[in-house]
Amino acid sequence: MANKDPIRIGILYSETGFTSTIGLSQLQGALLAIQEINEMGGVDGREIVPVRYDPQSTPSRYATLAEKLIVEDRVNVIFGCYMSSSRKAVIPVIEKWNKLLFYPTLYEGFEYSGNVIYTGAAPNQNSVQMAEFMTSNFGARVYLIGSDYIYPYESNRIMGELVLQRPGSEKLAERYVPLNASEKDYGAIMDDIRDKRPDFIFSTVVGESTAALYRAYADAGFEPRAMPIASLTTSEAEISQMGQGVATGHYTSAPYFQSIDSDANRQCLARLRKHFGEGSVPNLCWEASYFQTHIFANAFRLAGSDGIAELLPHILGSEFDAPQGRVKIDPTNHHTCLYPRIGRVDAQGQFTIVRQAKRSVYPDPYLVTHSLGDWTAKLDALER
Amino acid sequence: MDSVSNRGTLRATPPQLKELRTLKIAVIHPEDGDGRLLTQQLQRIGCLVQAFWPPVQALPEGIDIAFVAVRPEILNLQFDWTKREGSPAVIAVVNYENPTIVEAVLELGAMAVLPSPIRSFGLMSVLVVAREAHKENRSLARRLRKVEAKLLGVRHIADAKAILMTTHRVSETEAYDLIRDQAMSKRVSTEEVASAIVNASEVLSLGRKKIESKS
Repeated sequence: MANKDPIRIGILYSETGFTSTIGLSQLQGALLAIQEINEMGGVDGREIVPVRYDPQSTPSRYATLAEKLIVEDRVNVIFGCYMSSSRKAVIPVIEKWNKLLFYPTLYEGFEYSGNVIYTGAAPNQNSVQMAEFMTSNFGARVYLIGSDYIYPYESNRIMGELVLQRPGSEKLAERYVPLNASEKDYGAIMDDIRDKRPDFIFSTVVGESTAALYRAYADAGFEPRAMPIASLTTSEAEISQMGQGVATGHYTSAPYFQSIDSDANRQCLARLRKHFGEGSVPNLCWEASYFQTHIFANAFRLAGSDGIAELLPHILGSEFDAPQGRVKIDPTNHHTCLYPRIGRVDAQGQFTIVRQAKRSVYPDPYLVTHSLGDWTAKLDALER
Repeated sequence: MDSVSNRGTLRATPPQLKELRTLKIAVIHPEDGDGRLLTQQLQRIGCLVQAFWPPVQALPEGIDIAFVAVRPEILNLQFDWTKREGSPAVIAVVNYENPTIVEAVLELGAMAVLPSPIRSFGLMSVLVVAREAHKENRSLARRLRKVEAKLLGVRHIADAKAILMTTHRVSETEAYDLIRDQAMSKRVSTEEVASAIVNASEVLSLGRKKIESKS
């Protein structure tokens, strides 16, 4: 007799705390995919049931709740984490119990765990393209601002090195603000920027403090047309917290923007609005969270189990028509082939996509020295 | 208090990391779970990897780092290549920690040890640190050899000067000038001239002793 028991999966996205805006959108991405899977008859007639906890943007809670999901709720697969610190907290737990984590967030690279599937961008899928675009359109004198933790340190190292490959380049400053930074924390930095007049600002500020940075920039009266902020993490979600027009004219490099002009994306967004209303703010991490849940369900159908040994062979190398395009899990490094894009924020807080990759770009998480002029960094121009 | 920090600006990526993708690595390890994990992780990092098992007596030219599985069954094998000039840095992979195995690890001159079961996490750091320590050791050894040679030369010059001073009845400065003139005209170093003088003097004094003992 066929097994009709529900399949329980663990979900760990922060619904409160510094990173809850992205966390909530990642949660919606997962829930939307689960809903779609269940409406189509589940996995071989078995319903997917999410077991979810709120780690409150606190790494130690991520670890505790991951263990609770595994030991008490007996799940085999966990979907979650945003900041690198949360992923690093969960990995030892996942490895100890030999379970699987799907991680839908861009990060700084230099990691491989056989127990993790990484569906966000590695630096060779966003930083290189951003550096290429900004330095060829605005110049190579850069001012780096980031949140004070490991992802910005490493991202800034990469960006600094890329930019310095240009003639006339200069790294004017590298400044870090606390994760809970408010507008006044940026005051001295804005004064410094006024003195140093960079060609562009590279921001690796994450979470709720992102809005404060863009507001401080706007209040300082700077002009995005002349000196824009470039970011890998400022998505539609962060922009929605800034107030009308605050981010207009700034740039973000990401594999996904809401404005992607494809049927797959439009239909997915329509289903999201239908289920969650107009209040949700889909973004790159939402999309990764959405498609990775489908990749899991497809692999489960083929494996007939969610034990890691049975499931992994069907995840590795698998492909899925995601809203960004057809993605593929690379079998050698567990990261994902994605489509780098550059977007400019418009007056409505949406992105006008100005560059995009024709083919997906292979993830290379252990690349130390990135170089400009790499063909994978060259994107097709959509508009100037 | 300024809550804004200014982390070491203009950090350049260390060359030890930049060269990772040009490193040639030999993995002397059976093709088992650890062996596969090791080679795959090295490939992810982007190194050029060649695997060998059973252990080979000679490695191909230009290997920078060799991972060696140190296990009971290889204890009787000779790894002469580890003793040669320009040998690669050795990283031992161990599945026992008893004195016999640790002794074998020391014998190989390992720069680092990886415990089995191997994890992908930590491998890159071990690789970089072991390579750096090995390079540092090699350059220290080279410098030591140079310094020793220099020291010997200085001693020979002092001895040669003393010999010339007694045999030719000249001052120390004149003795040195004689050595230097010889070196210039023969296009060799003063150390070489000095050591020739010392050798010749030893041979002559030997001859003298023989003559003295015969008479």
